[in-house]
Amino acid sequence: MNARALFLFGALALAGCAQDDAKLRTYANNDLELSVGNAAKMSCTCLFVMQMDEAYCKDWVRASPNVARFFVDKEKKVVTSSAFISWTAKAHYVDDKRGCVLE
Amino acid sequence: MNRLLVTLLLTSAAVASAQACRARASWPTESWPQALVTATDKTKGLEDFAFTLVGKPEERLGYRTEGLVVVKNGAIVYEKYARGFDATKPHLSWSVAKSVSSTLLGVAVQEGLASLDDSLCKHLPEYANDPVVCAITTRQLVSFGSGLQWQEEYEDKGYQVSSVIAMLFGVGHKDQVKHVLTHRKLREPGTQFVYSTGDAHVVGTVAKRALTAKFGPDAFWTKLFEPIGMKSAVFEEDASGNVLGGSFVYATPRDYAKLGYLMLNEGCWNDQRILPVGWVQQATSVSAVFKSNRGDCSGQKLPATEFQLPCEDTPNGFMWWLNKPPADGKEKPWKDAPDDTYAALGHWGQRIIVIPSEDLVIVRTGDDRDGSIPVNELVKNVLPLVKP
Repeated sequence: MNARALFLFGALALAGCAQDDAKLRTYANNDLELSVGNAAKMSCTCLFVMQMDEAYCKDWVRASPNVARFFVDKEKKVVTSSAFISWTAKAHYVDDKRGCVLE
Repeated sequence: MNRLLVTLLLTSAAVASAQACRARASWPTESWPQALVTATDKTKGLEDFAFTLVGKPEERLGYRTEGLVVVKNGAIVYEKYARGFDATKPHLSWSVAKSVSSTLLGVAVQEGLASLDDSLCKHLPEYANDPVVCAITTRQLVSFGSGLQWQEEYEDKGYQVSSVIAMLFGVGHKDQVKHVLTHRKLREPGTQFVYSTGDAHVVGTVAKRALTAKFGPDAFWTKLFEPIGMKSAVFEEDASGNVLGGSFVYATPRDYAKLGYLMLNEGCWNDQRILPVGWVQQATSVSAVFKSNRGDCSGQKLPATEFQLPCEDTPNGFMWWLNKPPADGKEKPWKDAPDDTYAALGHWGQRIIVIPSEDLVIVRTGDDRDGSIPVNELVKNVLPLVKP
């Protein structure tokens, strides 16, 4: 009886492992959060590291869903992005070695 | 006694020869010599291929090359820019950064500050109580063999299942190394090749920790970028100071070519050894991890909700892609390129291609949203340019 229980437990554990092995992980981000993060970071580096103009950068960071808008403070070298008011992200230029960082 | 002396002399001569740097007429630390090929019959084929202008710019079609530099025998033989770029503007590397991180780990090894057999915990002591992390060595990590579950997805499969997008812009962005190292163990370290921007982030951060402890915060620049003249190099970090070693390096195409040229010259630059003897050989040989298991190559497709390891058909060394057959009976990935070709490859068509037998480095930057420019076709179109 004990041996049978042990075997059953082992088999279930193995089945559990196999199932877990095949599970696709998901991350707790919604598209808007990712969209504003991408827009802030990539616009910052496009403008201040790659030294491209706003028209190029606007197209370069365009992602689906295309809902994030970004605002550039050229003096402070800060880019803020937002979507539907409540979703925002900010990236700033550090220096000529370390480029931009998403805050 | 005499025999012993001769043996000793021969041994030291052999060691000296192995460590000797290749002689070059000049080194492009300040600037590249130019020997431009101008004959249009030689350049037209390459330009028609690489600088396709299809449809409207907003449709993002074709191979949208933004920079192309070809270096043959130590001189630029071809150079062209487009779409607003020029020789002075740094371009995002995307995953070319992985090869840069691998090279920086090599610099740390050359300086005696890291070893390929080091546990990650030696360099990341904040994980000293984590047995999963401590079991991983730098060799396994730089071979994409951490064994951690990683879903290297981009725009195609849905953002919520991408370990990379969550790391760069989502839940993991503030401490990206922590994001990587808190993924669960999928396989024993060193037994499973999983292409992972996460592993490369950690490689870059290990190199940073090792080098900056001795040489200060600008060690990447003082120990690699400046000695080889990569003045435009930018290497970004997250808000916690981790190096974003899998994605975010920037440099001009001319400067990326200098990294290729360092590899071509087996880690030497102007008689100075930057990388250890034999590093380039190891970095551009198929890794033990890749040989061990290159993914699920059964051809069976699991449902989209299940995790499936991709089957990798292009062999990898230390974060450099290689023109070698991925398995017995398989063909090399770039059939028109010489067998010794190796490359750093990045999203949307970033490429540094090195061909030692041709004394050739090709750098291509671009913004291919409609399928990245194929390495084989690029090499095939460059080779006629440099043949007599």
